[in-house]
Amino acid sequence: MKLAHMMDGHRASKGPLADQLARSERLFASTGHYAGLEDLELRQADPLRFETVHMKLRAFCVSAREMARRISASPGVREVGEMVVALYTPEGDAVALSNGIMVHVHTMSRFIKWMIRNEYEGNPGIAPGDIFANNDAFIGTVQVPDVMDVIPIFHEGRLIAWAGAVCHELEAGGITPGGDVALAQERYAEGLFVCAEKIGVNDTIRRDYVIRCERNLRMPIYWVLDEQAKVAACIYIREQLLELVADIGAETLVSLCREFIEEGRRSQLARTRQLTVPGTYRGHAFYGHITSGKPGFQALGDPDWLYAIPIEMTIGVDGKIMLDFEGAQPWGYHSMNCTPAGMDGGMFVTLTQHMNYEGMVNAGAWLATELRLPPGSWTNPDRETCATATSWALLLPAFGVFQRLLSRGFLARGFVEEVFVGQVNSPMIEMGGINQHGDEFGIAHFECAAAGSGALAIKDGLDTAYVGWNPESDMGNVEIWEQEMPLLYLGRSILPNSGGAGRFRGGNAFLSTWLVSKTDELRLVTSEHSSRVFDNAGMCGGYPAPTCQVHRTVRNSNIAQRARNRLPLVHDLGPGQDRLASRLDGIHEQTEGPFIAAPMKSGDIFTHSYNGGGGYGDPLARCPKLTLTDMRNGHSSRRHAEVVHGIRFLESSESELAIDWDATKQARKSMLRNRLERARPVSAWLSEERQRVMSRDFVPEVRKMYAAAMRLSPRFAAEFRQFWSLPSEFSFEDTGAGKDPSK
Amino acid sequence: MKGYDRKTIGDLLEGALPWQQTKQIMSSYKDDDRFLKALAAHQMRVPWKARILLPLGENLYIVLKEGQRVVRCSCGFVFGDASRNWKLGAVVLVRKTRQELEEIYPHADVCDGNWMELREFICPSCATLLEVEACAPGYPIVEDFRPDLDAFYSEWLGAPLEDASGEASPNEHGGSSLSQPPDRNT
Repeated sequence: MKLAHMMDGHRASKGPLADQLARSERLFASTGHYAGLEDLELRQADPLRFETVHMKLRAFCVSAREMARRISASPGVREVGEMVVALYTPEGDAVALSNGIMVHVHTMSRFIKWMIRNEYEGNPGIAPGDIFANNDAFIGTVQVPDVMDVIPIFHEGRLIAWAGAVCHELEAGGITPGGDVALAQERYAEGLFVCAEKIGVNDTIRRDYVIRCERNLRMPIYWVLDEQAKVAACIYIREQLLELVADIGAETLVSLCREFIEEGRRSQLARTRQLTVPGTYRGHAFYGHITSGKPGFQALGDPDWLYAIPIEMTIGVDGKIMLDFEGAQPWGYHSMNCTPAGMDGGMFVTLTQHMNYEGMVNAGAWLATELRLPPGSWTNPDRETCATATSWALLLPAFGVFQRLLSRGFLARGFVEEVFVGQVNSPMIEMGGINQHGDEFGIAHFECAAAGSGALAIKDGLDTAYVGWNPESDMGNVEIWEQEMPLLYLGRSILPNSGGAGRFRGGNAFLSTWLVSKTDELRLVTSEHSSRVFDNAGMCGGYPAPTCQVHRTVRNSNIAQRARNRLPLVHDLGPGQDRLASRLDGIHEQTEGPFIAAPMKSGDIFTHSYNGGGGYGDPLARCPKLTLTDMRNGHSSRRHAEVVHGIRFLESSESELAIDWDATKQARKSMLRNRLERARPVSAWLSEERQRVMSRDFVPEVRKMYAAAMRLSPRFAAEFRQFWSLPSEFSFEDTGAGKDPSK
Repeated sequence: MKGYDRKTIGDLLEGALPWQQTKQIMSSYKDDDRFLKALAAHQMRVPWKARILLPLGENLYIVLKEGQRVVRCSCGFVFGDASRNWKLGAVVLVRKTRQELEEIYPHADVCDGNWMELREFICPSCATLLEVEACAPGYPIVEDFRPDLDAFYSEWLGAPLEDASGEASPNEHGGSSLSQPPDRNT
């Protein structure tokens, strides 16, 4: 394919930067230390200066991001903080980062290295004042809306560093509005690509680039002002850095930056040895996708499919963490594929929350970890034209597994306060069409940045307050979103029982209910929500959160009439999920999978729910007082308390409920007995289940999942056959699980 | 850094430490002697005397019993040799019908039993729910964690396991019956 010649490979060096990069990699390969640094001489000579300079670099990044957020017009950046700023070595290794979407520790690094390896020093040239941008995930980002800008920083003619910034754009100009382009089945539908492009010189963004953005995006103000914000952030870092150079000298700064990275590598290894236990950890998550009959989907592959996301994590005696995705499904004609850069991003944003929350967060951590991404799988597609616009749909369940695997190590080591059942998917709603002012528009609604978190081993998960991809999770204010889109909030409500059950429950999610207002053309699209399978898990006896929501809509509703008649409106689905049906006339629809339908108009109602987190520990060991508090706060229903937790109440009014402790104890004993009566020895169940496997008695999507995984991975196939004691020729190939047309 | 006393660690493991104190521990540098203190707290919690080598889960341990490393429930039930997945020695309750799933997910959108089942791995003795797998039907049972115990003790703790045999000292607080895990909250 056309892009192949520009792949991220090791090419003959052309220019001083390319020589520097090659030398740095040779030194690491031969010594095991970043840049060959076996001793941290500057740290040893003056530890105070070492720490001070590092803190200054971090402060430059943090300050730059805060300043830049004020320039942005995007509520994603301003409200939700979808931005990060970072400093890199001349070779493109991360030295220091701001807070924010720390996904991009290594994605921008890949971008810079890609330019160096692809001879940008010669053409288009790398000069003072240049601005380079990229949102191509195969070069170095996660998905098309993650647009990154970097500038080289020169001192006396020598390139001494790079400054970089990323913003998540709310509109990318793809086949569906927003940035997470749900309908994209190939690269060509994802929107506006900027492929490691020099978009500015002399600190000025080129006018023709801005014109291209303005003519290819539904809402260019977000993208264009974010570009200004990112460039301003980079220039701020450059100016601050050059002041520092005037103080300590360029050579010292460059040397210190290298020591920071080697220190980061050592810190990562030491932290792993401090918090975990060496060994082999395994886990999985699943993701289901339903598009049969939906408008716009091309028959390029199966419309409905099931993916398994298995991970084996090995922690070596040296403290190195290795994640192996062997057994993952092949990439497909959907938008959920992920590039190695995106996989880096998922791992880094997770590590920064669990192990690197202090000290040196930089390329050193990348050197102390390893991802094994099977070529041809969704984690490492062997076709660069596949779509990656909603790669988070699979990344989030995957790195939720990573969090649980790490947590098993924390638990074994006694650090129970760090045990965390992990992140969940954060389904996104995006829209375009005509807004309430009569203008064309497009936007991604970022209130999804506030799901329920998984439980901890010592407390319930966070309610409506956490997503893995943005450590500063925030749903944004209702009033801000209402300014940006033709939707009025009827309600933003806690979803009771939406966290997974457990001794400590997963955090609960919320549901938004909107009235479409002042438009006759609102295109709503959703993405990143699993159908038919929970895409998360519990831990140590906790259950997964119920993450198979459907969308409920009412077209041509009579809500205006109800308002005129002063009748109760609708603010949520109600405890039985039937409130829309019971209160509203109109055309009621329930949609499974991505919501892609005819445009909506004023008077229509739309609901969208987010995900809760998985639970921890046996639900029958939950303190009844916690659940009573949950009931009083609308987080749990009485039926849930009784059926799942075995809690019994003294008969009294709902507002004065009290726990019947004796009855609870008896009920729980009875439920424990019931468990043993219903359960079977695993050996007996396996024997029966083996017959089912032998006869391949599964629905087509499950058979196809096994067929594809076994085809891609001989190791998975061998393990599968070994586990079920199957003959060596056993496969799913002859059971109607024919090859996907894409393969 | 300086460690915490054994009671503090015990309360932390139980989830019984006041939140402000827990938060302080979360936000502080980690205590280097945590593993040994936690082991001692676990050892006091269980009603049996065999030496705990490593906690594997909320109610699961690798213990040294009669010279063998086995996986044991906090109630005392032995699942078998630690080199074998303990789940194979458990009892399992599989949920795949809507009715079975709604026992855990009342009034929620549940998974399709044809695409995913819940496997509840339960202790055959005390009926504690030890682990739940949510997976496609037919997916091999996962071994969650196989620690490299020898390397851990010798390389990371500096106390090779070969030198540490025998059972722990008598448990002065292991009170509950062998068939029931400690009842924390009722």
